[in-house]
Amino acid sequence: MSRAEEVSATIEEYLEAIYTLQERNGSAKTTELAKRLRVVLGTITNTIESMEKQNLIVHEPYKGVKLTAKGRKMALDVVRRHRLSERLLTDILRLEWSKAHDVACKLEHAITGEDVIKPLEKALGHPKTCPHGNPIPTESGRLAEEKSEPMTNLSPRESGVIVKITDERHDMLQYLATLGLVPGASVSIEEKAPFNGPIIVKVMSASYALGQNVASVIWVKKSEATATLGG
Amino acid sequence: MSCHRAFAEIKEKTDLTIALAGNPNVGKSCVFNQLTGLNVVTANYPGKTVELNMGVTAHNGVKIGIMDLPGTYALSAFSDDQWVARRGVLENRPDVVVIVVDACNLQRNLYMVLQFLELGFPLVVDLNLIDYAAKIGLKIDHEKLSELLGVPVVPTVAIRGEGIKELIQKAIDLAQRKVKHTSHQIEYGRDMEQAVQTLEETIGKYMPKTPYDLPSRALAIQLLEGDPEFTQILKEGESDERRGKQQRWRHRWRGGRPSQQEILQLSVSLAKQIEEKHGEPVGVRIARERHDLAGTIANAVQVRVKQPTLLSEKLKHYSVAPYTGIPLMISVLIGVFAFIFFVGSLLSGAVDSFWGSFISPSMNWLIYSLIQNATLTRIVLWGIDAGVLAWLSVGVPYVLTFYIVLSLLEDSGYLNSVAFLTDNIMHKLGLHGRAIIPILTGAGCNVPAIMGTRVLTTKRERILASTLIVLVPCSARTAVILGAVASFMGLFYAILIFAFEVALIGLVGLGLHRLLPGESSGLVMEMFPFRTPSVSAIAKKTWFRFKDFAFVAFPIVTLGSLVLGVLYETKYLGLIVDPLQPVVQGLLGLPAVAGIALILGILRKELTLELLVALAIVQYGATAQNLLVFMTPLQIFVFALVVTIYIPCVATVAVLGKELGWRNALFIMGFTIALALVVGGLAYRTLPYILPMR
Repeated sequence: MSRAEEVSATIEEYLEAIYTLQERNGSAKTTELAKRLRVVLGTITNTIESMEKQNLIVHEPYKGVKLTAKGRKMALDVVRRHRLSERLLTDILRLEWSKAHDVACKLEHAITGEDVIKPLEKALGHPKTCPHGNPIPTESGRLAEEKSEPMTNLSPRESGVIVKITDERHDMLQYLATLGLVPGASVSIEEKAPFNGPIIVKVMSASYALGQNVASVIWVKKSEATATLGG
Repeated sequence: MSCHRAFAEIKEKTDLTIALAGNPNVGKSCVFNQLTGLNVVTANYPGKTVELNMGVTAHNGVKIGIMDLPGTYALSAFSDDQWVARRGVLENRPDVVVIVVDACNLQRNLYMVLQFLELGFPLVVDLNLIDYAAKIGLKIDHEKLSELLGVPVVPTVAIRGEGIKELIQKAIDLAQRKVKHTSHQIEYGRDMEQAVQTLEETIGKYMPKTPYDLPSRALAIQLLEGDPEFTQILKEGESDERRGKQQRWRHRWRGGRPSQQEILQLSVSLAKQIEEKHGEPVGVRIARERHDLAGTIANAVQVRVKQPTLLSEKLKHYSVAPYTGIPLMISVLIGVFAFIFFVGSLLSGAVDSFWGSFISPSMNWLIYSLIQNATLTRIVLWGIDAGVLAWLSVGVPYVLTFYIVLSLLEDSGYLNSVAFLTDNIMHKLGLHGRAIIPILTGAGCNVPAIMGTRVLTTKRERILASTLIVLVPCSARTAVILGAVASFMGLFYAILIFAFEVALIGLVGLGLHRLLPGESSGLVMEMFPFRTPSVSAIAKKTWFRFKDFAFVAFPIVTLGSLVLGVLYETKYLGLIVDPLQPVVQGLLGLPAVAGIALILGILRKELTLELLVALAIVQYGATAQNLLVFMTPLQIFVFALVVTIYIPCVATVAVLGKELGWRNALFIMGFTIALALVVGGLAYRTLPYILPMR
């Protein structure tokens, strides 16, 4: 990356946050962006404007912002550095998982340029995923992922298999795991409340009500066959 | 009382001790209630909101201490309830653990059974709800289950007491064999098993004393899972060792004994190997393997003899499906409140007239003859006559009835449907569906409701929910609304005040959610089918909620009545009230006497109306019995509105302080005063233009 194209840590943070929100919801609302970046709404506007000028994002009224092809490429680069940093922190420095995410947020801006990242990737043994199971983008910015969608996209009586859980909070992952909500588990949707309400999902022989914000981080691969009752 | 001490005392008094474990909603408390009476000790760990109940029972002459662990899905250290359950058994070392499992939902329930087996506890499995399992067409071979798990399994129907005696006998038999650790092992998949064994051998060889005396295999699994508590213990143990380095370094060199730090490192590297191979965190891997094993066992012991066509499952569907569920919920809630007001007012009237014609006169005579001083007598009567009567005529008819109905709804499983349907709205207020239960509880009395916010996980949610609860009109405030507004203005205006309150709760929730830093967590709640509630469980649940009202709120309120009596009888009231007149008369447009009633209402909310009438009689003569003699309908309306909003009452403030800290309590208090003044002032100025009010 040339000097002129080098971007500030702030913009990198924004790119990463927009990427994550866009993956989840299709676009990034500015209110959600503010929440995720822990800043007030007012400060966002300036940065968003300057990013728009740099042709990194497009702003769609009422929907929020979306990454352009250029923005997406840069975002994937940040994501790659973030997830590799997490690996470095957990695998080599033996930091606890729950702490890795926050530290990696700072570290990712320091290790730039493939001349640093490549040796790091090699030292880590070319990991495919971050410690939380999310895929690490390759140098060319490609992601190896199974086709899946958030559980909230499914309709009642549809079923599927959990592919990944994109929440990085350790205790949440572990809690969902004890209920049997782990990648690979078969689930079927029993009920769905209107207006983005919670859903009831059946896993094994138990049913759980999951709030929208929990269900949307559970990605499933929809199966063709309809769900069968009972276990 | 601390858990450890409470249990040590019980251990001393009894021949053996049992811990009761199990998932939520499997009838565990039903088993506990069958075994113990009302004499239950409640203890909690400092800083943890989840409590442990302990009780004592006897069977064939053997005295048994029982510890009821919180209902959890697993035994990890990631949430408060699980932490307390685990610490409870690890620290107190009961002689045997009885784990209650739901026969209808074997696979999920077996997960924790496997965890207990891993930890090496002598175990008896209580296969409960066997009647429901039969109803949904499940046949379970409990002997085979016992064989596969290597522990006794007793089928029970706890709600009817079936099988409980046998269960206890099995537990006693096992306890008397005094086995320290069970030998039965759960085997994991090849990679996992290898890692576990490698670590287990190292621990077995080099760590003569494990934390809580755990079997080395159990510790190995905990470390591989990355359990924060055990990892911490090993780290700290290491620093002790470093302090003793002078004496030990020689020994370490010669014996090649790895330190705890090295054991920890070994576990981390083993965990990493598995993570790399299977592409998922070890904790998740272990959970998955346990679920798989639980599934294999469940499938081996149960046969589905027919497809379930249960009425309760259909009802459940209708109760959560949007087009049927929402109308149903609204009618159930209206029905509940109508029922409570009907039954409550009947009972309350009966109590009032009984007290007024028998107890009050004799108490009056008795105290006067004891004290021989008219003023002093009146002060004492403020406390014990009026105070106790209020407790009897508000507490028992309204609060108690309400809690019986609430527990019925909760135990039948219907409140889960309500939580599901309201999750969306609650989410907008920064909460989730489960918060609906404490908020509804607030309509009885705010005190148990605020204690009930312990079911919420974060401090932020507890502050949000508590603020909203404080705005829910409790029985005392409802009495004022009905007594003032409904009696003198009509039911429409009373309902209008309730509607106002609901809107206010919504607005305040929306606002606070935006203002308070932090994010709201999501709803994760099991939906279990409707069940017939057990009478003993309902009685106990009602009692626990009512106890908070009776023993926490009531003494504070009675004391408040006494203070009130002193102020009132000695005519010092004016000193406090006079400076506030501009606010009361100017801002709210109320008569001066209303100010006194409002100030004293902090001590006892339901007294505001009685006081208002009593003070008005002094000022305007006996006709002031009718509020309309000295107040306009608008003033009555504003008065009732302000009464329902400002500072709940001393008892609520005390509980807020205890549960959330005094800073938050003061904040909530100040906030409600400001809100009451703003809303009251606005209502006074704008309502006449909107509604026909003179």
